Amino acid sequence: MNLDKEQLRKALVSLSVERALLKIGKPGYEKVVKQLSKEYNCYLPDCYEHPEYLNRVLKKIFGDSYISIVEAIKKELDVQIMEKPIEIFIRAISE
Amino acid sequence: MQNNLEKLQEQKSLFLCLMIVGLGILVATFFGREVVKMVTDFTYIPVAGILVVLSIIISIRFRSTGNHGKAWLLFLGIAISWFIAETIWMIYEFVYHQNPFPSSADAFYLLGYPFLFLFSTQYLKPFKKLISKKMIILTSIIAISVLIPNLYMTLYNNSSESKFAITLGAIYPVADAIVLIPAMIGIVLFFRGEVNFLWTLLLIGILFEVIADTGFQFFTLDNSYYTGHPIDILFIWSYIMFSFGIYNHIQIFKKKTKISDSKNLFDNKLEN
Repeated sequence: MNLDKEQLRKALVSLSVERALLKIGKPGYEKVVKQLSKEYNCYLPDCYEHPEYLNRVLKKIFGDSYISIVEAIKKELDVQIMEKPIEIFIRAISE
Repeated sequence: MQNNLEKLQEQKSLFLCLMIVGLGILVATFFGREVVKMVTDFTYIPVAGILVVLSIIISIRFRSTGNHGKAWLLFLGIAISWFIAETIWMIYEFVYHQNPFPSSADAFYLLGYPFLFLFSTQYLKPFKKLISKKMIILTSIIAISVLIPNLYMTLYNNSSESKFAITLGAIYPVADAIVLIPAMIGIVLFFRGEVNFLWTLLLIGILFEVIADTGFQFFTLDNSYYTGHPIDILFIWSYIMFSFGIYNHIQIFKKKTKISDSKNLFDNKLEN
């Protein structure tokens, strides 16, 4: 049961990141995905376990404005943000 | 992390282009006004044309997806209107043998500015929450202080130019100052990021435009402007800056390889 919930959170986080990036533009999303794969051999769903990778990639591409993308991800996650693991994820990508 | 200054220093092709254009026009000056006019006019067309081509490439790449997709379509509007303006300017000079200022070319030059402003706002829209009032006020003060020399020159001159020509000439630096505001904001917002390089080159390009427009106004009022005047180098340089900025953006957001596509779908990850 716990595993299912974790998988669900992982899916939700992945989808939220994708939706937030697609609002900026598809090439932006593709760039983030490419950079995650190239630098950390990691894919978007893995960011749930390694939020620091997403944090570094967003900073590298968008500089100081990465925080706006974090805000957009938070908005996408909506009420789920109240859950502790999601909160930890958000805190990690905000650093 | 590589900063913009280091990145700028690495752009050998950019400096080479700037040097070739600058030296080309300066050397042509020694062969008389007709030669320099021809060299300059025939430099404007490919330079503005390259900007159109690059804008088309990046617009296709973003395919109007998201805010940046729409922003690049607006940038295409800038490139097309300025390309039309350059073509009209050349036709006036070489076909009709008339002074192209003021002319219908100005309508297209000026049309580029709302496009440039809308491009900037559309590009910055996803990051608007980070734009503080303080940032807007500070950048506006810088833009106004850049504008002051031109306004002073326009108001206190004894030129024989028509009021319409003087007013038209003064509109350009005002438009430059307006587009300077989002360009400066862009630099601050994307500080330390890869996309910041585009904004750095856009800002430098706009600054070249500001100086060139002010110079154009000054030498037109002075009756000493001619096509191929050294001030034209700055206009061409601004096109080159814009083009290199877009080229860098194309490089950053070039299409990814297909390999990682499926791996980013969550279902596939569950299967693994």
